[in-house]
Amino acid sequence: MNRNSGTTLIAVACVVALTACGEHAQLDPRTQMGKDPELPKPQNFLVPPMQVPTGVGWQGDAHPAVADGLSIEKIAGGLIHPRQLLALPNGDVLVVESNGPGTEAVTTPKQLIAGMVKGRSGKAAKGGNRITLLRKQAETGKWEPHVLLEHLHSPFGIQWIDRALYVADTDRIMKYRFEPGQLQIADPGTELADLPSTVNHHWTKSMVASRDGTKLYVGVGSNSNIAENGLEVEYRRAAVLEVDVATGASRVFASGLRNPTGLQWEPQTGTLWAIVNERDEIGADLVPDYLTSVKEGGFYGWPYSYYGQHVDPRVKEQRPDLVAKAIKPDYAIASHVAPLGLLFYTGSSLPGSYRGGAFIGEHGSWDRSPLSGYKVSFVRFVNGRPTGPVESVVTGFYSKDESSLYGAPVGLAQGADGALLIADDVGNAVWSVNASK
Amino acid sequence: MRQEVKTPRSQAAAVAFGVLDPIPYGFFVGALLFDAIYANSGEILWIKAAAWLIAIGLLFAVLPRLINLVQVWFPARGRRAAAEMAGFWLNLLAIAAAITNAFVHSRDAYGAMPEGLWLSGLTIVLLVLAKVLPALPQATARDRA
Repeated sequence: MNRNSGTTLIAVACVVALTACGEHAQLDPRTQMGKDPELPKPQNFLVPPMQVPTGVGWQGDAHPAVADGLSIEKIAGGLIHPRQLLALPNGDVLVVESNGPGTEAVTTPKQLIAGMVKGRSGKAAKGGNRITLLRKQAETGKWEPHVLLEHLHSPFGIQWIDRALYVADTDRIMKYRFEPGQLQIADPGTELADLPSTVNHHWTKSMVASRDGTKLYVGVGSNSNIAENGLEVEYRRAAVLEVDVATGASRVFASGLRNPTGLQWEPQTGTLWAIVNERDEIGADLVPDYLTSVKEGGFYGWPYSYYGQHVDPRVKEQRPDLVAKAIKPDYAIASHVAPLGLLFYTGSSLPGSYRGGAFIGEHGSWDRSPLSGYKVSFVRFVNGRPTGPVESVVTGFYSKDESSLYGAPVGLAQGADGALLIADDVGNAVWSVNASK
Repeated sequence: MRQEVKTPRSQAAAVAFGVLDPIPYGFFVGALLFDAIYANSGEILWIKAAAWLIAIGLLFAVLPRLINLVQVWFPARGRRAAAEMAGFWLNLLAIAAAITNAFVHSRDAYGAMPEGLWLSGLTIVLLVLAKVLPALPQATARDRA
């Protein structure tokens, strides 16, 4: 072998080494929880950190593990990708079975490959595009499923206001006449308002009604990770929209929230709070997803910056004027945990320490090794503000070696009996968490 | 040029090489142009198009590079020319640069810059050298000797 070929071999080896080094996480997730998360320097990768367990579902009677003082029970199985839950005052539970519309065009070689890798987890399985109603049988205590509404278009958010059910499909809010007690909806429904639905990179439309039932707040995710589809497709996206229930008129209520997948009212102060999925591919420990109060007219940074004034150089052109006014979110819940469900607990059947705090359904990471998320966690609130670290409440969604995925929590609800209900879109189940007897 | 015994097999390979070898070169030149436009304009169209040009250019490079590998390392008869050897290594380095560049272009938006532009430039410089060196007077003269 001559000198030349030696040099070349070294060059080739360097390329191989560079492509193989999907960086491992360096920080303990606990350092990225709370008001002031540790934020390492952003990195550029040839291949971003990636770890995706294979979706296998729950075998036999297997179930998630719960924290001390709690018990867990499966109340429904065999669903088609259950994503969101709504508990009705009469005790019935509505389950939204859904997944993305699959309309995002493949416009880069990377999308071709990444789509295949991420699909392994079972998170990309086809959704039922329907709503199933679960009713508890008084005699047996078993929950009986009834198909309430079918042929929806990637529904996610769901709210019930005064004799009407509002369903946020990926492209519009539909209104159906509905009284609790009904087992089926015959009303073909009317469109209340259209929602941004080009590309649908982030397709979920989370939704919560104002306490007086006059407004709907809709979380609309960005059309990209970090504006790589052009800023023109981000119109009215990465935002919380406010929709007038009487007229369907809407406006941008808050912006710069990359993917606000859960909206809820904090019970003590009555302020709007959101969980937000932050940007990927600048490190296993960047950027922490967060829980924040949402201020009217507030701008939270995306895509130009994160956690206030931490500028993201991947956006051209930069906007220092917007970065300057970016609000720092209230509370970090660790990197890449993918929060998709938020619930402020106001019931009394779980141990008292949970009252008034926020449960978060963490769907789990792909852009981090080791895995993070894949659990239901809890953040304590004191005087309307989050405090202390994130606690793990429901865990055991993946195997110890991180290779198999049994389930992944998404939407949360509080049952009429005070139970914590969890939609699991990999286990295709609904779980009910109660105080242990 | 050195005299070769033209077997039907090597002749077919030479024709296939002549047909296929310019394809990746064209793709990589296109990628360099598009990268330069994106670096200045920030218009997403150009960086996405450049990413496809690099990926497809690499696919088209596989066959001509294999043919060249056989031609250079297992010549039908006679000694290898130094210029052919240099061409082989320069092409290999260009492919290594393009592979790295394909990964750099998988970054989102402006995260691919400026490295993507540099690597597109480096790929072309190496490919141009691989074409120019064998054509230089002294290389031709040495080959004749």
